[in-house]
Amino acid sequence: MPMLTRPDPTEPSESTTTEPVVSLRGVSKVFPNGTMALAPVDLSVFEGEFLTLLGPSGCGKSTLLRLVAGLLNPGEGKVECRAGKIGFVFQEPTLMPWARVRDNVRLPLELSGQVMDDVERRVDAALAAVGLTDFAGHRPRELSGGMRMRASIARALVDEPSLLLMDEPFGALDEITRNRLDADLLAVCQARRLTVLFVTHSIHEAVFLSSRVLVMSPRPGRVLADLRMDEPYPRGDDFRTSARFAETTRDLMQVLTQGSGGGL
Amino acid sequence: MSGFAGALRLTAPALVGVLFLVIWQGLVGFLEIPVYVLPSPLRVAQALVEDRELLLGSLLITLKIAVAAFVLAVVLGVLAAFVFVQSRWLELSLFPYAVLLQVTPVVAIAPLIIIWVDNMQLALVICATIVAVFPVISNTTLGLRSVDTGLLDLFRLYKAGRWQVLMRLRVPSALPHFFGGMRIASGLALIGAVVSEFIAGTGGNAGGLAYQILIAGFQLNIPRLFAALFLIALTGVLLFMAMVWLSRLSLRHWHESEISAEA
Repeated sequence: MPMLTRPDPTEPSESTTTEPVVSLRGVSKVFPNGTMALAPVDLSVFEGEFLTLLGPSGCGKSTLLRLVAGLLNPGEGKVECRAGKIGFVFQEPTLMPWARVRDNVRLPLELSGQVMDDVERRVDAALAAVGLTDFAGHRPRELSGGMRMRASIARALVDEPSLLLMDEPFGALDEITRNRLDADLLAVCQARRLTVLFVTHSIHEAVFLSSRVLVMSPRPGRVLADLRMDEPYPRGDDFRTSARFAETTRDLMQVLTQGSGGGL
Repeated sequence: MSGFAGALRLTAPALVGVLFLVIWQGLVGFLEIPVYVLPSPLRVAQALVEDRELLLGSLLITLKIAVAAFVLAVVLGVLAAFVFVQSRWLELSLFPYAVLLQVTPVVAIAPLIIIWVDNMQLALVICATIVAVFPVISNTTLGLRSVDTGLLDLFRLYKAGRWQVLMRLRVPSALPHFFGGMRIASGLALIGAVVSEFIAGTGGNAGGLAYQILIAGFQLNIPRLFAALFLIALTGVLLFMAMVWLSRLSLRHWHESEISAEA
């Protein structure tokens, strides 16, 4: 059975019946120095999706994510984001080195300025979700790279966002740590029914995590292919070692190499 | 290993100091150098004990001026840095004048300030502040700008206000640079105080250590001159050590510069 399906435009899918959480229409971005980071892109993210942007470094994936978060303004086109709260996980853990893990995680709640009587409960819940309960009192420098990333994810989850944007969060980690974090991330996202827009250049990671993958071309970034992944959740370690996983990985790699002009 | 290194940190410089004093004492005795040219360390120590009331009184006066100037320099320097980081335009238009303050020798400005300000103490404090303020301004400005861009994005994402960014992000990020500035400023405040005293030539009850040095020089009381010199140097070292301690106290949990000291 084929793992990858290209969404058929003639077939009415749930995509066309529900409003997308995020939609980009003809969005492009040229940086002040003249580099075209993003060719005009159309993109919709639907509720409950785990959508991965897969492409080589410098293809504008991060730019796209920052546009969705409102950290950048598009040069052309329109970005619409109907998600209420957004969580953002950067490439680096981006923690305040002077603050304890708990205080780092609490930051979004404090910045939002709304009065809440359950701040500490929310912080505890976010820490528990990423398995950092016992490290709440540590400083970032006392944690391993993987644990710092967990703290960063807890911070993104703490104000209970509906949309999570993740910019190659595990790119700097070793493969074993990365696999564990991927699995834990999926569990959290399922439990919280999060919509996720995830950026990576790892094909394995894309296959393991995603419900849909957008393959992007090298700079300036264009969307080469829009592929649905049929493997049901929850996905465990057995999926990683399955024939379906290998098959899907191979198919995805093919799309990627074709799109970047065949050879290297 | 670290215990050994720690012991070495104290004993090595102490040993050098003792060796230096012994050679000095020996040379003065051996070459029969007259006391009005170079007194032996023991003669200096004797002067220190005999003139302790006079010298300690003067030390207190100089120390008051130096500490007041230091506090003023830190407060004004930090305020200036806060203003500078609010906008590039403000910094571009005002920073050259901060530099001007730095490059103009206090010796040249002091007579004017002493004429303008009636209160001599205050005039001296102002002079010493001018000497000490620049490293606080430039280091704190640099520190307030040295903010992780990812954290800035994070604060923007959660729509943090200017004030939140300043207090919760820029100020903590600036601390290591700020303490570096304080270290330099503490020494400069003392130097500024002594130099200004020299220029003002204050005598009588308001005479600080610089005055004691001037008078001892006139009277060829060289042991007292050395004793006063020693007190100035000692004060400078103690001020510096206080700054190091303060810096360690607030940075030891997170900043690279102080972490090895804790472990």
